[in-house]
Amino acid sequence: MLTRSRPISSEFLFFKTMTLFVFWVLLSASFDWIHLALGLACSFGVTWLNSGHSPFIPKFGLWLRIFLYLPWLFYKIVQSSLHLTKLILDPALPIEPQLISVESKLNHHAAIVLFGNSITLTPGTITAEVDHNKLIVHAIDNVSREDLESKQMESKIAEIFKDEKPDL
Amino acid sequence: MEILSIIFIVGGLFFLIVAAIGVIRLPDVFSRSHAVSLTDSLGAFLMLVGIALHDELGKNTLKILVVLALLYILNPVIAHATIRAAVRAGLKPWKKENS
Amino acid sequence: MKTFLFCVLVLLVILIGAYLYRVLRGPTIFDRVLGLNGISTKAIILLIVIGLYFDRVDMFIDISTGYALLNSVGALAVAKYLEQKGLS
Repeated sequence: MLTRSRPISSEFLFFKTMTLFVFWVLLSASFDWIHLALGLACSFGVTWLNSGHSPFIPKFGLWLRIFLYLPWLFYKIVQSSLHLTKLILDPALPIEPQLISVESKLNHHAAIVLFGNSITLTPGTITAEVDHNKLIVHAIDNVSREDLESKQMESKIAEIFKDEKPDL
Repeated sequence: MEILSIIFIVGGLFFLIVAAIGVIRLPDVFSRSHAVSLTDSLGAFLMLVGIALHDELGKNTLKILVVLALLYILNPVIAHATIRAAVRAGLKPWKKENS
Repeated sequence: MKTFLFCVLVLLVILIGAYLYRVLRGPTIFDRVLGLNGISTKAIILLIVIGLYFDRVDMFIDISTGYALLNSVGALAVAKYLEQKGLS
């Protein structure tokens, strides 16, 4: 905690404390003042201990665009789940596992995190290694690989993060 | 409402069973992890939505949605960590010829 | 409805048995970790269905939230340890 690499912004402290506090209220569900004060103290303490890690706060417009991205991601998940179900129930097991390397044009830490998690969440592809903007992805057959190489998901995420400052 | 929740739960069970068959049948770590991620993403989603529809709307629905969001955020991270450890240990993907 | 939920519970336990086969049998240690991860997802669903069966969803859902958080920390710790140690 003493060797803190980045400065703490008070905005960051406030938002993280409030998120943890809402979670506390949801779990405890009692509105005595002593419980509320205890929760506020605990969430502030946790935020203070963790304040060196990630000072990136998404703006409101970014949250909105991420929420609009989620239904499309869910559509992809359903599509590839049905494909994987067909593969598993096929008696001949027609899979061709392979490791492929994907180079993306994304230049923001949060964008890379979102991209990798989306790839892993879609059944059929899984992220194995991340180095700056090069990802190594394991794909179960050629259909999943072509789906990944069509760059559809990457262009959607680049659209979300188009007016952020690049920091990679 | 009850019929709808039963349909959702049965759909979720179908995907869970398919994932269990996949975990037993598939040949190596990487392809098995695809089956586990099928469980996490679609099976758990359909089951939890069915349970949330069965209860009346209220605090419990919100808590079930919190559990679902936790599953969707944490499971890719765990799967990625395990697979990265497997790749760094030098495991190679399964090929048809040498089986 | 009670009977249906009981059948769901029994089926979930059988599925956990399938994952347990993978944990006991798995050729490498990563198979075992993966099987444990799948079992924990099943256990979260199982806890919520038990809550529905006994009409105490409000209590069991807190238990399952805590289980999800604890399990994720444990699985990440095991994965990090294996990453440094490798196959041996």
